[in-house]
Amino acid sequence: MARYAMVIDQERCVGCQSCTVACKSEWDVPIGGARTRVRPAGVRGIYPNFTSTFLVSQCNHCDKPTCVQACPTGATYQDANGIVRINKQLCIGCGSCVSACPYGARYINGDKGVADKCDFCAARVERGLEPACVNTCPAKAKIFGSLEDSNSAVFNLVYHGGAQRIETSDVNIGPNVYYLAKPEQMELAAAAFPPIPPQTIAAGRVWSGLVKKVVFLAVGATFLGQAVAFFRQLNVGEKQFED
Amino acid sequence: MGNEISRRKFLQVGTGIAGAAAAATGAHAAVHPPGWRGDQRVEQIATNCEMCFWRCGVMAEVADGKVVKLQGNPHHPLTKGKLCARGNAGVALLYDPDRLKYPQIRTGDRGEGKFKRVSWDEALDFLASRLKELKQKYGPESVALFPHGVHSGFFATLMRAYGTPNSAEPAFAQCRGPRDIGYQLTFGRPVNSPEPVDLEESKCMVLIGSHIGENVFTSQVTAFADGLAKGAKLIVVDPRMSTAASKAHFWLPIKPGTDTALLLAWMNVLVGEKLYDKEFLDQYAMGFKELEAHVQGFTPEWAEPITEIPAARIRETAHAMADARPAVAIHPGRHVTWYGNDTQRARAMAILTALLGAYGRKGGIFLPSKLKQGRIPLPPMPESERGRADREPGLYPLASEEAYGLTQGLIETTLSGNPYPIKSWIVYGQNIFESIPVRQKTLEAIKKIEFMAVVDVLPTEQTRYADLVLPEATYLERYDPPAIVTTHKRPFVAIRQPAIEPLYESKPGWWIAKKAAEKLGLSDYFPWTDPDDHLRRLIAPLNVNEQELKALGAVSFEGKPYIEDRSEDDGPLFPTQSGKIELVSTVLRDFQIDALPKYEAVEQPPAGFVRLIYGRAPVHSFSRSENNAWLDDLMPENPVWLSTEAARRFGVSDGQKVILENQDGVKSPVITVKVTLAMRSDVAYTVHGFGPQSPGLRKAYQHGFSDTALMTRIAIDPLMGATGMRVNFVRVLAAEKA
Amino acid sequence: MPFENIPSVQVPLTVEQAEIMEQRQVKKHQVAVVLVHWFNALVWLLELTTGAALLVNPAYRVAPQWYLTMMQDVFGTSANLLRFHIAVGLTWIAVFLAYAIFGWRHYLHAEVLRKEVGLDNDDFEWLRIRTLLLVGRTKKHLPPQGAYNAGQKMYALLVYTMIPVIMITGLIMTFHLLATAVVAWAMVLHFFAVGMVVSGLMIHVYMGAVFPEERPAFYSMITGQVNELYAYHHHFKWWRDVRLQQQAWERQWAEEEAGNVHGDGATVHSRPVIGAYTLPNEEN
Repeated sequence: MARYAMVIDQERCVGCQSCTVACKSEWDVPIGGARTRVRPAGVRGIYPNFTSTFLVSQCNHCDKPTCVQACPTGATYQDANGIVRINKQLCIGCGSCVSACPYGARYINGDKGVADKCDFCAARVERGLEPACVNTCPAKAKIFGSLEDSNSAVFNLVYHGGAQRIETSDVNIGPNVYYLAKPEQMELAAAAFPPIPPQTIAAGRVWSGLVKKVVFLAVGATFLGQAVAFFRQLNVGEKQFED
Repeated sequence: MGNEISRRKFLQVGTGIAGAAAAATGAHAAVHPPGWRGDQRVEQIATNCEMCFWRCGVMAEVADGKVVKLQGNPHHPLTKGKLCARGNAGVALLYDPDRLKYPQIRTGDRGEGKFKRVSWDEALDFLASRLKELKQKYGPESVALFPHGVHSGFFATLMRAYGTPNSAEPAFAQCRGPRDIGYQLTFGRPVNSPEPVDLEESKCMVLIGSHIGENVFTSQVTAFADGLAKGAKLIVVDPRMSTAASKAHFWLPIKPGTDTALLLAWMNVLVGEKLYDKEFLDQYAMGFKELEAHVQGFTPEWAEPITEIPAARIRETAHAMADARPAVAIHPGRHVTWYGNDTQRARAMAILTALLGAYGRKGGIFLPSKLKQGRIPLPPMPESERGRADREPGLYPLASEEAYGLTQGLIETTLSGNPYPIKSWIVYGQNIFESIPVRQKTLEAIKKIEFMAVVDVLPTEQTRYADLVLPEATYLERYDPPAIVTTHKRPFVAIRQPAIEPLYESKPGWWIAKKAAEKLGLSDYFPWTDPDDHLRRLIAPLNVNEQELKALGAVSFEGKPYIEDRSEDDGPLFPTQSGKIELVSTVLRDFQIDALPKYEAVEQPPAGFVRLIYGRAPVHSFSRSENNAWLDDLMPENPVWLSTEAARRFGVSDGQKVILENQDGVKSPVITVKVTLAMRSDVAYTVHGFGPQSPGLRKAYQHGFSDTALMTRIAIDPLMGATGMRVNFVRVLAAEKA
Repeated sequence: MPFENIPSVQVPLTVEQAEIMEQRQVKKHQVAVVLVHWFNALVWLLELTTGAALLVNPAYRVAPQWYLTMMQDVFGTSANLLRFHIAVGLTWIAVFLAYAIFGWRHYLHAEVLRKEVGLDNDDFEWLRIRTLLLVGRTKKHLPPQGAYNAGQKMYALLVYTMIPVIMITGLIMTFHLLATAVVAWAMVLHFFAVGMVVSGLMIHVYMGAVFPEERPAFYSMITGQVNELYAYHHHFKWWRDVRLQQQAWERQWAEEEAGNVHGDGATVHSRPVIGAYTLPNEEN
């Protein structure tokens, strides 16, 4: 049992995209899609004193994943180790989860038509390997481990090392990708890529707001109608048309 | 193929290999077991990367005859399992549908791009017959070789055996030459590659123009990040706030072309305030008194108006370096051909390093260790009476060795016919159009050529002008000579072996060269039978277990990187003319050139223009990777960076489409502007290696723009012939107005 | 024997006529129709039970948790449930495609469709009166109906429009076709269309399987035939058409038999013989 998490040291990170490409290669991410992203968060300051940083982002395997709540078929679920996973065979590719993620961590795989995202390389972790991005990062900026293992670097960085989450008052679902960066860098990153409150897709809203009610009403009404007719029939008796 | 057999053999051995070379590696020796990729079993082949030239260790994961993933090789002493974006994207190169697939012979006009497919036999016969004709008609010197990369040795041997002394690759005159010469003059040895900079142990790192982080060499990034994490101070001198500069404690946005002034001012502070490593200099250096006198006038106050860096800042950074000495890593840079005075700037950097006692010391520049390399005895090479034709006689006194060929010189000679005509180019892995500036000369020179053969992996512009195109297999499909690396704290030997058989009809370079040699009657110069034979001969003196080497990819040895590790048996510490660190260069003095560096002003941009400077991106290796599907996805084009002030002056905004026009009226295609606060207003910056004109590169074709196309002027370093390229100026025009 | 001349309006029958007619069978549904109907019924049973089990998310759920758990246990995994649902769905589509392609002329021809779903004035009147009857607000008789009464036609119309929606949206979801937003809306439409058919099914199943008056209709979906009395009372216009047509055949047959070559089209008053339908003469 574990509670997997990641710490990303943005001070080490040089924004080289090695993680992006390693992940792309490991998981056949199609051109245009991304399981992990490295984005410059901009520059702030007065010449020549500036703050800048990259933000490496991916699925945060949140404590309270809004994507799991949004999935109609249960294809997206959280396993016993805290990894939020997608059962590709159960996913229809409706995109509810994509809109429900405040961090934009999910995408629909254009080749396969189903949702996809970082899963902390669960298949690799199961074999005792590190996630591909952690393995490849030249700057050793990504640290992976379990928050239930007091010996792990992740544990120490999160509980004693000042690693921070990117959350807001609107969005505080407990992301498990933490960051090490100077306070002004965290500010810059959070301002450039703020978590957005989860959205329900239009089709989903129509389903739960309107269609579900209409269907239940129609089925209920016809059922009741027939039930009434049935009882009347019992009372009235069979109609003999011989007479 | 021999390779195939040995690979199978070692896999069967299983875990039977004991720690025969454990003493050498210090790690357990083992056959590399197969791995997993999800539920798929994969074979793991240890090799090294060629997406750039750092040659990081790679584990190629192979399943069903396909390379499914590339991972860093954890056994590789240089990179220890790390692999950058380009390295990871090697799979996309291997399976790039645009690759050259079969030999071709030109049918249309030169440059038209019309070819017919031919067999290897026909192609090599054609090559041999043309070379023989040229030898008869014009002499063997009329053929010039344009190679690239350490693995071009096969072609170097071939062409030298053929009889031409003319060979030049851009690594010298378009890249590292000035610093290698500058450091060689000072310390007795060139810098070499990988650069022996002890970043991870450094207490103060100094980057002059170097943009580590955008310039990604995997192990260098690791060392940089480690050093910083340990608390090293970082000083970055760059007109643009690079990624490295964004992490710096001191970012000095220097006026371009004035770095030497800054270096001299730093020397002034260290010498004047007695912050230099006296003990070190007393023991190892000569010429201090002269240096002391020389730098007296170069105060920070003198440097301030020149460099536009406040004097206080110059002092502050000099003190930071002094506080950290001798663990000060002043990175010598890599591409340093900027203004035509670059050797002297390299000299200044070397001298500064010496003043801080940071050469051969922990945290500074460390010493290369010795590794015996096997030699393959060859018959004597033919002597050329006419000699090299890449320079006018008497010029570039420091570019004396044969390895220091001047590419632009060969192009000039082709054009002029002086001292004798060059009528043929054999190009191996070079894209002359992108790597050599003053493209118009290249195009003119090509008109004089009677025969051009190009060996490459992708259909670059170079291939379009060829008479004969030979498809080389990628690094993942071929054997190349082993890397025997001495500029690492643990020197090592690392191999490149094929992960799969070459696709299509591509062939490894060694095969092409050997077969060509056969056709030319030069087989004696390729006395080895196959790659295994070649490898064995080269690594013989190292006494490594071949199976272990092939399983792990590399074997390392104890090194002696610091002076304190060395004894007399290790040879002279400073193999200079004087046997000491030459603060004053005796060699330069002998040539009656400035024995101590001086600051020389460079030409300023005319009114309304800014200087065009260029650099690297972490996801590309210039034109080598521009057609790579995954990397193209991340960065399909190169915007031109301008400061907010410069953008305002030019009347353009972030994301706008513009055209650059240089001082000679040459225009770029339509490109995008990127505006940033953190940059000087007298420069325009872009990433080199975009804008290919070859339609065969379907993904990259005309993406972005070529900075080389705008380099219509160069400034040549009189000491060794390097072409300074940061001497072109541009103005920015909105796309509609242009 | 009940009728010499086929009445044009639904006249009250004598007891004799009724008794005779109750014994006679008229073919209503061809074999293929019967088979497809039950195939359809099976498919719907399987698809509804598995479909409901697939909606796991509380916001989308239609079945209680114990049901979802039970179905998951039966199938092993949710993925198996979905695979089953898809397999049945694709089979359903394949059969219907074959039915449509090969049986176009028989089952989906315009005339057939008109018969099954075309609403005329009698139908509208029927709907009005039937509704009032339901709430006990009228004593009127229902107007004569065709092969299918207006209620059945309404149901057919519903099913014919909803089934293509269900099929197409099902395919979109299975093969992740078109844009993601299309897949999302397919999800909603699939559910809506199914829901509408299910509400129709409430009436259809009641009427077919529970309501005693329509018992002959239920059996017709097994034998393909209804008794003539039922046909006369419930689907008069169809009964009339069938009888008229039969009469015409018989006359033609008789003509050919007798070798009557009168070109003047004189009717031959002979009594038809076999398979025939003979009526005592009426004194009218």
